[in-house]
Amino acid sequence: AVRPIKAAPPGLTSSVFSDPTVSKFVNMMMEDGDKVLARSIITQTFESMKRKQVEKYHKAPATEKEGIECNPYTIFHQALENCKPIIGLISIQKGGKYYQVPTPLTDSRRRFLAMKWLITECRDNKHRRTHMYEKLSQELLAAFMNEGNVIKRKHDMHKMAEANRAFAHYRWW
Amino acid sequence: MATKGSGLQAKVSRMLSKDFGKPILKPNKPLALRNEVANRKLRQGEASCLTEMSVMMACWKQSEFNHAACTQEVQAFQRCTALAQAERKARMGQESSGQGGRLHPKQANTLLKRHPNLYREI
Repeated sequence: AVRPIKAAPPGLTSSVFSDPTVSKFVNMMMEDGDKVLARSIITQTFESMKRKQVEKYHKAPATEKEGIECNPYTIFHQALENCKPIIGLISIQKGGKYYQVPTPLTDSRRRFLAMKWLITECRDNKHRRTHMYEKLSQELLAAFMNEGNVIKRKHDMHKMAEANRAFAHYRWW
Repeated sequence: MATKGSGLQAKVSRMLSKDFGKPILKPNKPLALRNEVANRKLRQGEASCLTEMSVMMACWKQSEFNHAACTQEVQAFQRCTALAQAERKARMGQESSGQGGRLHPKQANTLLKRHPNLYREI
């Protein structure tokens, strides 16, 4: 008998330009199922990042020219890596009170947190009249340089985990 | 075997009856085996990778959260978490298959549901 075959998801392509992390980011940014809008925002983000980096490249003296990264995909991946937290906090109830316990995170959870922080930070904490692609490109370039609010949030998480390290024994896994 | 069972029933009914002074037993639940087994989880809780975590946090405190300076400890921590995760997965798979010669409480419950003890005439 013929077994039924699962249909391929619409976001999956076999082209050389498809990137699973970028697709995941697009899906997370999507609202009301408008993938076209989310995807266009991402492409505009990459374009603006490339423009900024190329401008910097042309203005830089010859010695620094090699240090400037122009490929927006590598910048995106590196910025995401810089935003990923290493340790997370989990709310555990013990003796009637809830404690924030530091715990290791899985890779998927870390990637999700990094992307979520990026998106919420761009949506909330920026000037009202700037476009999303503009805000995203600023944030991604800052994260690439290890500056900016998302990196600060990651550091805050680590500091909280470090402060609560006494409660690490409340974990049972 | 049948004679042994009847002797026990006689004793129990004697202990329950009020004909011989105060009854010795006053059970609030029926004196019969239930068609279920209690669920016991024998895994003790222990937090994994605590030493690695504390080493990493000490390194962070020293270098004031400069992540570039602590790559060794971070990698060790991540290796430890990966190992712990794999171990946990293996343990979960192994637990559901065999509990050291005994039956898992869930499996026992399914069997008892299929072939229950009859203590009532239906």
